[in-house]
Order: sequence, then structure tokens, then C-alpha cells
Amino acid sequence: MDRATRTRTPKRRTRLIVLALIVVSALIGWIIMWRPAIDAQATLPAFDQASIARGQRLAAIGTCAACHTVDPSRPYAGGRALATPFGTVHSTNITPDARTGIGQWSEAAFTRAMREGVSRDGHLLYPAFPYDHYTHLAQDEIRSLYAYFMTRPALDAPAQKNDMTFPFGLRPLVAFWNILYLKRDPWQPSAGQSAEWNRGAYLSDNLAHCTACHTPRTRLGGTDFKRHLDGGEAEGWYVPALNEHNPSPIPWTREHLAEYLRTGIAPDHAVAGGPMQATVENLRLADPADVEAIATYIHSYLAKAPQRQTRAGMPGSLPVPAADDPDLARMQLGHAVYANSCARCHEVGREATSGAALPLQKAVALYDPDPRSLIHIVRDGISPPDGEPARWMPAFGAILSDDQTGALAAYLRRYGAGQPQWTHIEDAVKKARQP
Amino acid sequence: MTTYHLRVNGRDHAVDTDPDTPLLYVLRNDLGLNGAKFGCGLGQCGACTVTLGGESVMSCLVPVSVVGERPVGTVEGLGTAQAPGALQQAFIAEQAAQCGYCIAGMMMRAQSLLEKNPKPSDAEIRKHMMPNLCRCGTHMRILRAVRRAADALPAKGAKA
Repeated sequence: MDRATRTRTPKRRTRLIVLALIVVSALIGWIIMWRPAIDAQATLPAFDQASIARGQRLAAIGTCAACHTVDPSRPYAGGRALATPFGTVHSTNITPDARTGIGQWSEAAFTRAMREGVSRDGHLLYPAFPYDHYTHLAQDEIRSLYAYFMTRPALDAPAQKNDMTFPFGLRPLVAFWNILYLKRDPWQPSAGQSAEWNRGAYLSDNLAHCTACHTPRTRLGGTDFKRHLDGGEAEGWYVPALNEHNPSPIPWTREHLAEYLRTGIAPDHAVAGGPMQATVENLRLADPADVEAIATYIHSYLAKAPQRQTRAGMPGSLPVPAADDPDLARMQLGHAVYANSCARCHEVGREATSGAALPLQKAVALYDPDPRSLIHIVRDGISPPDGEPARWMPAFGAILSDDQTGALAAYLRRYGAGQPQWTHIEDAVKKARQP
Repeated sequence: MTTYHLRVNGRDHAVDTDPDTPLLYVLRNDLGLNGAKFGCGLGQCGACTVTLGGESVMSCLVPVSVVGERPVGTVEGLGTAQAPGALQQAFIAEQAAQCGYCIAGMMMRAQSLLEKNPKPSDAEIRKHMMPNLCRCGTHMRILRAVRRAADALPAKGAKA
């Protein structure tokens, strides 16, 4: 009997230790994941006009409307679906509606959401909302944004259900993501750079969150801090690198970049397309000095791109495929599509009229590391938002078959850009077909 | 010259022409279907819009060689002057045409929307019709006509 007691004691001790470990990790987990609710405010505070106006211009820099406005007649009511590798997240209503919007949010609650990604009621927001960028904002700019949003018309628009893959539907897990990717250290200007450059750096990395798309993400969906502006993706588009790896066949000047950011159009460069269109629509409503500052900062990285010999300056239309081309049949199909569908507007030498388009040897999409953006442009065209003036390109998705689209991409890559052929073009064409 | 077999408004046609001939020219010059109009020839205005495999396309940008077996629909397939189709009746009721040059294209773009989405919202109609331009400025009447045609349609899958 004595022996039996002795053998049980270490077991019991192990159990106690295990139990203690479980309790301690549960406690730590609770501390990491739990956030308190912040009391609802009963009435909206009053704001001065200057603060509201400043907030409006800052909201344009933040391109808040790109995600939070779906129907232009219902600004900031949310409801836009954003597909991520972890599931589909819907933007929410950020109008001051008390029930479905942020009407009950005090400035403290708004600030916590912007800096820490925590909703007023304490639940963790998904980082599709780029609080990991907004976290460094100056408090007076957060206050202006708060003033602007709290004075928008209140709209009734309940949040839509997100469709996350397991286990990402568990919001508390975001707390662990935050440990890795939410860097809350205060923003530091760079000594030795101009005030404009530093303003641009502050805006680009934080409020404008350029790096959210133009810097690659890790497999966990966080910013890959080591590869600043090295190119990423957004909504199935390749997002160009803005550092020394920038694919543009024609070097950007700072002036052209500033023009592009305000209008989506710059001489000898492709027009803004895909997710960048919404950015430009917002930036043109921003403080022009801020947009200039962003251009100054981004251009300091673009300027690191080495001088390259490209075909961008090649005169004339794109050539017919060489008779000894190893992929002749596909190249001939691609050339036929180019000649009959694209060259009508894109051929060189066309007068500068409303129908004149960029010669394709200058189009950056041909020089991207993968064909996704080119295929999107061909299939979906470029269309301005409702009621807005902008460049227009018709969509060819209903005209060209998958084979023709793939062959066109392969032809343009070889005879337009003269770059090593892309792999997996056909897969990219199929993927672009999925909504 | 190559022979192309086209199915237009439910009828089969054989046409001898060059592969790069725009579908618009084949419809007008070879088949005598003059509903689709030549506007800009650059896919910018939409006067030449027809349906191809149920999707609206600008036929000036479609080389005949890419059509294949996909059926083509033109305004002539919607009805006749004596017996206008539902969409045409709606355009007449709203008096949506001024000079009328863009209207065949407008109707065909609207047709492709209503075939897929018989109950579009006003925002969906605006978004879908956006590529087609009317220089007389009857856009508001055109939008009303599409709305009227949609409202006259039975809801898709509605129980009798």
C-alpha cells in the first residue's frame, strides 16, 4: 500500500503541473486576446469646421472610401467584400449611425480602433482594416478624421457576415498576429531628409498605406518589413514594386509621379488601373501638398531603379512573330489578336485624339513579373467610376476566348516587352475569369 | 478569304471574308443587318454593340475570326417595327431616342443585362449601361426605358 501511494505521487504532481500550465496559459491568452468595451457615448460631440475639412482631406489620403463606400449615394456605409487568403472580409459602416455605424464611438474608441484594431465593444478587427499602418498617426490627425466621419450623414447599414476559412473566423487569434505585425513604436522622421520627404514617408507608410499593397506580405498576411516597396498584390492584380525592382520600362520622374497620383495619367506611362484607380480617385480630393510629398518620398525609392535598355522607345507597331519562333502557333494567334483588336487604338503613330492609347511596348503590365495585371486589363478594360472623367478602355473578356487571351499575353510579353516568357499564363487567364 | 459560319438572331449564315474583318462590317455589309451602327470604330462609343454568346460587345472590335460558334444577337432579333419586342416597347414608351443613332447599341447592351439579371437595381443598370454614349443626351430616358423593361419582366424563378 505504501508503495502504491509512492508511485501515485509523481503522477499527481505531473497532473498538478499540467493543470497549472493550462491555467497560466489560459490567463496569458486571455490577457493577450481580451480587450474591454469602451462605454457608448449617448450624444455626438460638436466639431469645428476646420477640423472637419482637414479630416475630409486626410480621409482622401487614406482612401477610406475605396473600401468603405460601395454605392456613391451612400458614402461610408461599408459592405464591400474583400477577398483575402484567409477568407472574405466585408467593410463596415463608419457613418455615425448609432445602431449600425460608429455613432456610439467616443474619440477614445475611434483612436483605439485606429491604433490597435479593436472595436468599441472590445472585439478585434481584422487587419484588412489597415490599423497596423494607422497606428503611427499623429493624434491630431486621428481627431480630424474622427470629426469628419462623425459629421457624415448617418446611414442604416448593418455589418455583413464575413466568410473566413478555419480557424481565421476566431477573431481573438488576431491578437497573436498583432504581436508579430502591429509595431506600435512612435513614428520617427528620418534625419538628413527634407521635411517634404518625411511628410511623404509618414503619409505613405501610415495613412495612405501604400505599403499595404506595394510591399509583399508574409504567409501570415503581415507586412514583410524587410522588403519595403518590393511589390505585392491586391485583388488578383500584381502591384508593382516601387523600389529598385520597379518594372516600368520608362523611368519615372518625380513630376510625372505626382501627376499620376492626382489624375491616374502621366505621359508615356500606363493609366492607373485596377485597385490603383480607386486610390487616384481619392488622392485627387486630398491636399495637393500631401500628394506632392508622397510623390517625393516614393520617387526617392523609384530613383534607385537602374537604367535599363528596354523596348519602350522602339518605334512603330509590334512586329509579326519570327518564322523560327519555337512557339510559333501561339505567337501567331497572339499577333492576330493584337493586330485586330489592340492595334486599332494602341498602334504607334496615332494622332493624340480621344482614341489614342499607349503603344504597348511602353505598358508596364508587359514588364511585370507575372501576367495577372495584363490579363485583368485585357479582360475587364479600364472604366472610370460612375460620373467621373477618366481614360477608358473597352473590356475584351466577352470578345476573346481564354486561348486568345493567353496567346495575346504571351505574344505581348515576347514581342512587346522582349522579356523572358511568363509561366502559367493559362492558369492566370482561368483565375481572372473567376469573380 | 475564309468562309465563316455565323449564327445571328437564331439564323445560320455563311460569309466569305478576311479574318480581320470586324463583325460590325459583316453584319452590315454581308448580312444587311444595319441596326448596329458604326460610330467611332474604336470601342469608345457603343453604337455598334451587339450580343456575343449572351454578353454585350462592341462589334467594331470583334474580328470575325474570333466569333466561332458563339451566337450573335442584334437589334433586329428583338422585334420588328410592326411588332416591337418588350425592350423596344419600353424605349418607345419613354421616347428614349432623339437622333436614334446610339439606340440599337443601347438596347443590345440592356438586353444582355436583362437576360442575366431580370431585376437589376438602378445602380446596376447605370453601371452596366456606362460604356454606351448618347450625344443627344437622352441618357436619363434610356435609363428609364431599361427600368421600365425590367419592371415589365416576370421575376426570374418567380412562382406562378
